[in-house]
Amino acid sequence: MGTKIKTGLTRLNFLKLMGGMTATGIAASVAGCGSEPVGGKGWIPGQYTVPGNWPAQVKGRIPIDPSNPSIVRDDRKCILCGQCLEVCEKVQSVYGYYELPIKDDITCVDCGQCTLWCPSGAIQERDGIAKVLAALDDKSLHVVVQTAPATRVALGEEFGLAPGISVEGKQVAALKELGFSAVFDTNFSADLTIMEEATELIKRVGAKDSSTLPQFTSCCPGWVKFCEYYYPDLISHLSTVKSPQQLLGAMVKTYYREKKGLSLDKVVSVAIMPCTAKKFECQRPELNAAGVKNGNPDIRDVDIVLTTRELANLMKRKGIDLNTLEDASYDNLMGEGTGAGVIFGATGGVMEAAIRTAYFMISKEQPPEELFNLTPVRGLAGVKEAEVTIPGLGTMKVAVCQGLKNARIILDQVRAGNSTWQFIEFMSCLGGCVGGGGQPRTSLLAADEVRKARGAGLYNLDGKVYKKRASYKNQEVSDLYANYLGVPGGELAEELLHTHYTDRSSQLTAKKKV
Amino acid sequence: MAKAVLVDLTKCIGCGSCTVACNLWNSLGYDETKPAMSAARKLNDKNWTVVNSHEVTDGNNKPVWRFVKQQCFHCQEPACVSACFSKALQKDADGAVIYYPHLCVGCRYCMVACPFDIPKYEWDKTFPLVAKCQMCSTRMTKGEAPACVSVCPTGVMQFGERDTILRKAKNTIAQDDRYVSTVYGEKEVGGTSWLYISDVAFDKLGFKTDLGTTALPTYTHDFLKYVPGFAVVWGLALTGLYHYTKRRAKMNHEKAVKKSTSPTIKKETAQLGDKKDEN
Repeated sequence: MGTKIKTGLTRLNFLKLMGGMTATGIAASVAGCGSEPVGGKGWIPGQYTVPGNWPAQVKGRIPIDPSNPSIVRDDRKCILCGQCLEVCEKVQSVYGYYELPIKDDITCVDCGQCTLWCPSGAIQERDGIAKVLAALDDKSLHVVVQTAPATRVALGEEFGLAPGISVEGKQVAALKELGFSAVFDTNFSADLTIMEEATELIKRVGAKDSSTLPQFTSCCPGWVKFCEYYYPDLISHLSTVKSPQQLLGAMVKTYYREKKGLSLDKVVSVAIMPCTAKKFECQRPELNAAGVKNGNPDIRDVDIVLTTRELANLMKRKGIDLNTLEDASYDNLMGEGTGAGVIFGATGGVMEAAIRTAYFMISKEQPPEELFNLTPVRGLAGVKEAEVTIPGLGTMKVAVCQGLKNARIILDQVRAGNSTWQFIEFMSCLGGCVGGGGQPRTSLLAADEVRKARGAGLYNLDGKVYKKRASYKNQEVSDLYANYLGVPGGELAEELLHTHYTDRSSQLTAKKKV
Repeated sequence: MAKAVLVDLTKCIGCGSCTVACNLWNSLGYDETKPAMSAARKLNDKNWTVVNSHEVTDGNNKPVWRFVKQQCFHCQEPACVSACFSKALQKDADGAVIYYPHLCVGCRYCMVACPFDIPKYEWDKTFPLVAKCQMCSTRMTKGEAPACVSVCPTGVMQFGERDTILRKAKNTIAQDDRYVSTVYGEKEVGGTSWLYISDVAFDKLGFKTDLGTTALPTYTHDFLKYVPGFAVVWGLALTGLYHYTKRRAKMNHEKAVKKSTSPTIKKETAQLGDKKDEN
């Protein structure tokens, strides 16, 4: 038979061989041809790469309820640096101050300080911009906005200005350009707060039963929730006056709406706040005074809250450059604010504002000059005290705390019955609202400088820019009482301007001693 | 020595640090449609561990939230390893059940075998692999705890030798009567490397409590252990039979050749010889 001796590789076989090798190579590279197990090729911060079960100074992260109204977290950006836990525990004394196991709540006072400390921007406020844009686009709606005292000395930072520079007029101009139907000043309702709160204080000081003294301020929703969680036994000390945000919201949907002849379901009330807790506050079930008054309790007094950061973001999206805007002024009816209102945004400001008006209400005299520069309650000390002599009352002792861990120092003394104070101001955030969780982020080391600068900006407005420096001099507030509410502490004022609080102590087991 | 992790469910606050650590360390990437912390938590190829929340009632009948971290239990006698015929799943000296993708043929027997429903498949890939927790075996060989354990802020998880960890678990239970009296994973399917203690009954928290204490591979091992011996014996028998029949055929053939001397047959024989050469 034909036997042909092969001398080498035929061309066909060579091609077959090469084709086979290529196919195998492709298959191997697609399927992976290593000999290692999967995983373990990534990274993790250094404090976690040591043998054994060592403790670490900063570790893990705070729990955030997926339905938290104030803050959200993007897991893609979290690097487990531990900074959120650090501020929550060491500055705010919230995390780590309850026993485990938890009950049916993830304890959070919504202050949003973690959003400022988070270096990768994983934690941020729950977005309200989309809702605002939708409201502004709906031409059948009348969208009203208010701006908190502290946003005007910080918004500029998002547009390249130094901290503390007041952009009050430009902020109003920007909001008008965005399409809001009316722009009101929370300074106005801060003055209104003072009228009610000073009236309440005088009532409490004059009462035979002194168990509700000292009176606690109630403007800060983070502080209020903190009190409800950890010091529910002291809730009776909280002023029943709503926060300035909620007062203005209630007035927008009653006083202003009635004046304008608008229907309740067509008015949308937006608030620009330095604060994430305000997002929680506006959803508190009891803050629906206008709705209740008009038989529709589902309607909120404040519908949407944007932080200072969100406002800047919204402006940038719409191409509005703050620097190129001409100053505009707040709308009439609820646009007037005094120096007393504007310093609400700095720690000690509410106290100073309250004292100015309380002095007038009690003594019927103009407050002396030193009450317009009440330095003992100004500045960034954690706990501040002052004594004020008021004719007709005598000496009033007051205290001011900033940061919730500092608040515990005062609260523990009140709880123990060692209080000598009549009135105490509490603010969750360091520096007060100027350092709020919704304010522009700052580098951490400079943060105190930034807070000081912003605070100085507010005191500058009070001392040098605004003509009126006490709440009782606010003409629009006087008009509101004369034309609508009656008298401070009166029946309608009580219905619209006062609130009640919730004991939240059953939602956690507060640690006895930390 | 076998390592273990003790999970104390009473300490979990649901922060999800463990899920992020897992994703970072294993570079799993993120898929927004597959979150590790949300209402739609599910183990999958991007989430080797998840934290599930449960609304239950505590000993005083009060509503409470409990969070349960879920990941591979790393059984002491893993059913997936016994089911894997290509050795893509192997148990290492530290007790971790490790997946070697280069050995995997993609049959998914492991997924069927696992009593805890842990191994997941990369369904949306062209050449999919199986995905599951590796217990950070490369960290463990350096003496480090798994990434999830090392980041937990409240100390839910403790890592160590299984004997020590089990003793700790029992001590904790003995000292605090709020705890359920069993350590989940001590005996389940023959014991696991991840052990759980809780103040709420395990069946209310999504744990399977009807798995029994027999290691699953023993059910098949009882008869499959004879397979190698059987294969050898059967092979020997067949080889013997082959030689026997071959020899018989040869003898028969030789007999036939002797009997006949016709040229036709000779020719046939020659052709047979040719064929043999070609072969």
